[in-house]
Amino acid sequence: MDSIFFYRNPAAAPTDGPLAGLKIAVQPAVSVAGWPADAGSKALANFTALEDATVVSRLVQSGAFICGSTLGSEFGFGLAESRAGEAVKHNIAAAELMLDMMGESRLAACGAGVCGFKPGYGLVSHFGLIGLIPSMEVCGLLAGSCQTIRHLLRALAGPDDKDFSLPDEKPGEFSAPAPEPSKTTIGVIAEAQSALPDAEKSKFRASVAALQKAGFAVREVSFPDWPLFLPVHKIVGSVEASSAAGRYDSVRYGERAPGARNWNEMYLASRGAAFGTLLKSYLIQGAYFQFQRYDAYENACRIRARLVADMKKLTDAVDFLVLPVSGGASEERPGTLDETYGRFAATAFANVTGQPALVLPPASAAEAPFQLAGPRLGDAALLALGDFLLSVREKGK
Amino acid sequence: MDFEAVIGLEIHIELNCKTKMFCDCPNRPGDDPNLNTCPTCLWLPGAIPRFSAEALEKASLLCLGLGAELQPQSAFDQKVYYYPDLPKGYQLSQARRPLSCGGGIDITDEDGNLKRLRIHHIHMEEDVAKLVHELEGRVPISLVDFNRAGAPLVEIVTEPDLRTPHHAMEFLKALRTQVRYVGSSECSMENGSMRVDANISVRPRGTSQMNTKVEVKNMNSVRHVGDAIAYEISRQSQAVQAGEAVVLHTRLWDPDKKVTLPMRGKFEGPCVPDPMVPVIELSPAFIDEMRSRLPEMPAARAERFVNDYRLTGEEAAFLSADPDVAGFFEALVKKGVAPRTAMHWLATQLIPAVKERRLELGASRVTPERLAALLALLAKDEINANAAREVLAHLFESDETPEAIVNARGFKQVSDAGALAAMIDKVLAGQPAAVADFQAGQGKALGFLIGQVMQSSGGKANPKILRELLMKKLG
Ligand SMILES: [Zn+2]
Repeated sequence: MDSIFFYRNPAAAPTDGPLAGLKIAVQPAVSVAGWPADAGSKALANFTALEDATVVSRLVQSGAFICGSTLGSEFGFGLAESRAGEAVKHNIAAAELMLDMMGESRLAACGAGVCGFKPGYGLVSHFGLIGLIPSMEVCGLLAGSCQTIRHLLRALAGPDDKDFSLPDEKPGEFSAPAPEPSKTTIGVIAEAQSALPDAEKSKFRASVAALQKAGFAVREVSFPDWPLFLPVHKIVGSVEASSAAGRYDSVRYGERAPGARNWNEMYLASRGAAFGTLLKSYLIQGAYFQFQRYDAYENACRIRARLVADMKKLTDAVDFLVLPVSGGASEERPGTLDETYGRFAATAFANVTGQPALVLPPASAAEAPFQLAGPRLGDAALLALGDFLLSVREKGK
Repeated sequence: MDFEAVIGLEIHIELNCKTKMFCDCPNRPGDDPNLNTCPTCLWLPGAIPRFSAEALEKASLLCLGLGAELQPQSAFDQKVYYYPDLPKGYQLSQARRPLSCGGGIDITDEDGNLKRLRIHHIHMEEDVAKLVHELEGRVPISLVDFNRAGAPLVEIVTEPDLRTPHHAMEFLKALRTQVRYVGSSECSMENGSMRVDANISVRPRGTSQMNTKVEVKNMNSVRHVGDAIAYEISRQSQAVQAGEAVVLHTRLWDPDKKVTLPMRGKFEGPCVPDPMVPVIELSPAFIDEMRSRLPEMPAARAERFVNDYRLTGEEAAFLSADPDVAGFFEALVKKGVAPRTAMHWLATQLIPAVKERRLELGASRVTPERLAALLALLAKDEINANAAREVLAHLFESDETPEAIVNARGFKQVSDAGALAAMIDKVLAGQPAAVADFQAGQGKALGFLIGQVMQSSGGKANPKILRELLMKKLG
């Protein structure tokens, strides 16, 4: 199983603290001081993190043991070469932290048959996370249960004087009361299932039926602009990535391509050699919108604001949303940008809006893993719902 | 054809904050290379910029000092360009939503008329690293010093209101005075805390067209800015007259050859908002607080000096140009020194003496209290002006009171008529030729004789009484 890991912590596990005994794996985009932090990219080869990410230092302070760094995709973008989720699946770690840019943590949880949570934007510090899309990415959590995720969030969430982008208010204790099914409405977004193949559609319907059986008021809702989430994510995300990746120039770290006659050639050759094909096409797409079609980028930003407002209206009307996890694309190891995005067609919305989203494993082979989403700042209630649903299943057995 | 120039300036000013703009590293670019660095200002992956409150305050004061309107909302963008002095590939700059809009500076133009030069906007940005080019054996190498990376800057962008090198130089001098006044920067072009780029185009005089401009950089004194603009105006005028098109580009001023030369442009792209740097919202309370911290600005102060102390406009402008000088002056007046005496002694004695000793006006032993005590002795005729100048020199060396110095070193003025008469008799007896000259009507001889008596008194004779006695004796 060692091939899951890219680096393993040689230190001994701490024995004190509320999270003592909990082994936690991280993806290489999460910095741990002194560990190699290449974020899965040749552009960061030989880079050693100087500081712990806030998510790491907070877990360590609470007594958790960061057991190692698992193999990930380049800069955590997509899941093509990623082994995320396997450490939790095989009980090597109780939880795993990874960047969620368009649904990576949720899709990895789906693949591993575990719970995956994308916190709402602004709940968890970005400090020490080596990402690409600052306005969309957050630190996702994978674990066997919602209970574990709640324990971790209690340690992780809240203001950080190293990340001014977080609000100053301290979030609650993540101990929202269990939902009362009869008083809880769950909306099913009709447009979110349109891309699913029939087999997956029927599995998703089985999951929705199980919610109804548990007593929840389930109703179909419409989000006409649903198809815009993916293009908005593609345009805004790629432009941010193109700008953010400017720092990967192979001057201070990474491999410098030989033979350049001046710094400009050195940049071009080194960047050309450092990035993988998928990332390169993403950065080139971003550069296109940035330099050739800035109007499209500005439009995408405007549409994003509208999508956020529409989503708020929707989550005001219902308590939670239920959606599939799968984007419907059959390609497990996508090669192109479009194929990659295709896999995240059902998850990218939450990165565009910044709302929390939770993936639960299926209750049976007749169902598929499904996704629940709540309003901004509804993280605690969403996890309470997840907890409740898992306990209903336990009782049913 | 007669041409006129259209000139706009872009001025970068380094704020004298204790820390850099987005981290806690000391803002001391001159320290040993790469000493003042951290993951944030080395722009390492995973680091997050944290905006400094001090930078916001100093920048806001600077804006208010220039009469600009602070904007309730401003924001940092990622300004993309690729160059080795900016290894993260973008600079945080308020490119689209600046800290302030408007403002301006009044200058006196070549004809002595007041002219308002408007400021378009002022924005904040982080400085980039410094490149040092060296030879390693025979291989040229470039070293990067990150001490300056992330240092707090403001950029002042003027309207294209300037027409002549004189306008530019007067604008910069007044700007420097005003920014020093609010205490946000030393604004030294020599030390690089003020850097000026000039955008220059020419057009036939009397027309209002806006022609292609050329940007000129690399001037490191106000004089150079004037020279570079003058050169560029004549270069472009000649080119246009010869029928050549002016192309948009950047030129560097060569101070030795006194010419501008084209440089290769940096690749610059559009700006992307930085989601990790929160939008800056200034509350009315913050703006009021900044306004209340604003000192009386030089123009207002000079006007008050003219009205309250009956100084000339020139004297008042001289005193108010430097806040330390103006403060010293007012402290002297408060201690009872006559305004004109205070002005005169500051300009001709104290400031040169302080400079000669490489001291700061506010930080030498010569405090306003001690100088006022010395000038009081002068006003009471206890010492004469010669002695006062010598006592001043002593004030720099010891903490004794001026009175003690005068007494201990015998600087007291000789006003005793008997003692002076004896000295005069002796001098007149020894200088028959000068006496004859005087009596033949040569006024110059009187000055010579006074000088002789003064010398024989060791400089201590009361000049007024001496003159009276001498006139009497010469009949
Ligand atoms: Zn720093």
